Amino acid sequence: MADPINPAQPHDEAEELLPWYATGRLEAVQRERVEAHLAKCADCQAQLATERRLIEQFRAFSPEVESGWNRLAGKLAQERPKPIRRRTSFKGFADGIWAVFSQPAVAALATAQLAFLVLASGTLLWLSQPTYRTLGSGSAPASANVIVMFRADSTDRQVRGALGTANASIVGGPTSSGAYLVHVEPRRRQLALAKLQASGDVQLAQPIDGASEQ
Amino acid sequence: MPAPVGERELLTRVGNQDIAAFEELYRMYQSRLTRFLATVLQRSQLIEEVLDDTMMTVWRSAANFRGASKPSTWIFAIAYRKALKARARWPEPHEDDEFDTRVDPDPRADERLQHHKLGDALRRAMELLSPEHRAVVDLTYFHGLHYREIAEIVGCPVDTVKTRMFHARRKLRTAMPGDFQDWIWSQNDG
Repeated sequence: MADPINPAQPHDEAEELLPWYATGRLEAVQRERVEAHLAKCADCQAQLATERRLIEQFRAFSPEVESGWNRLAGKLAQERPKPIRRRTSFKGFADGIWAVFSQPAVAALATAQLAFLVLASGTLLWLSQPTYRTLGSGSAPASANVIVMFRADSTDRQVRGALGTANASIVGGPTSSGAYLVHVEPRRRQLALAKLQASGDVQLAQPIDGASEQ
Repeated sequence: MPAPVGERELLTRVGNQDIAAFEELYRMYQSRLTRFLATVLQRSQLIEEVLDDTMMTVWRSAANFRGASKPSTWIFAIAYRKALKARARWPEPHEDDEFDTRVDPDPRADERLQHHKLGDALRRAMELLSPEHRAVVDLTYFHGLHYREIAEIVGCPVDTVKTRMFHARRKLRTAMPGDFQDWIWSQNDG
């Protein structure tokens, strides 16, 4: 339905409708009234010429149209239901595990289980500590400060007897010449040497580090 | 202007999530909407975003289209609302460096220079208008819509559309260079 032109203000109304007159969008009744006014109004004729030039210029603008369908189709694909895909990467697997464990109920249960595991592991670790000392464990043996050579015919019992009398202990040997490295308490080394040298089972007993008794 | 044959049917199919129909509708409207959004937004970086947003809304809401208006009116109304929202996020005006590349040069070499000159002047003149005024100008001059249809799209009374167009034309005429007026009168004299 055509909007009536206000007969009291034909110029204002015609001026207002000029754009749609220029684009041919007015209904017949409106178009005829605008044309009737145009025939006697130089100002509206000038405006109509301007309108037509503006429209020509305006339609010359051609916004660059990129092929956007692929872009939109991509967005659409993200929105449509996706098939369930099997995770193949470790990151994907780890993310999935984390997603499950980060849920509150699961997280509480998992925390309790984790605490138990830590406690159990500590207990097992404590129980697994060795009660014996290996050759490489513990403190280093006392350094030898005496070298002893036993008689070739001395028995083990005689050797142990000689060492026991001098309160000495073997820390090394036998060397290539059959001697043993022995440690005695440094303060009592002179006495220990005397007892060893006095033993009939000892062929030789000498200090080896030159350290004097303190 | 009646809706093109099949456009309503196409929208019905889109409402049934027919992807082929949606692609056809998209190709039908891409150029027109891009043009409209480029005029209203004056922000080259927003055009694609708002275009996609508009068409995604069409995809999701097509089932709700009851045919009270033409499909084009319904789709342009969505685009207009999206454009104004996007504009609100980018309140500061700035130069659109890419706009010049969107000017279609006149193939006639002897008029090309003047064409560019007037086109550039029109572009600058349009920048002086508000997005609401630019929308009305674009829908009238380029898309050739009746003011009643424009009123539906921008959601305002018919008289407001006429008033916006009246003031927009006045500003555009004022902002155009002397060459523009000379050209008009030379055409009239000829």
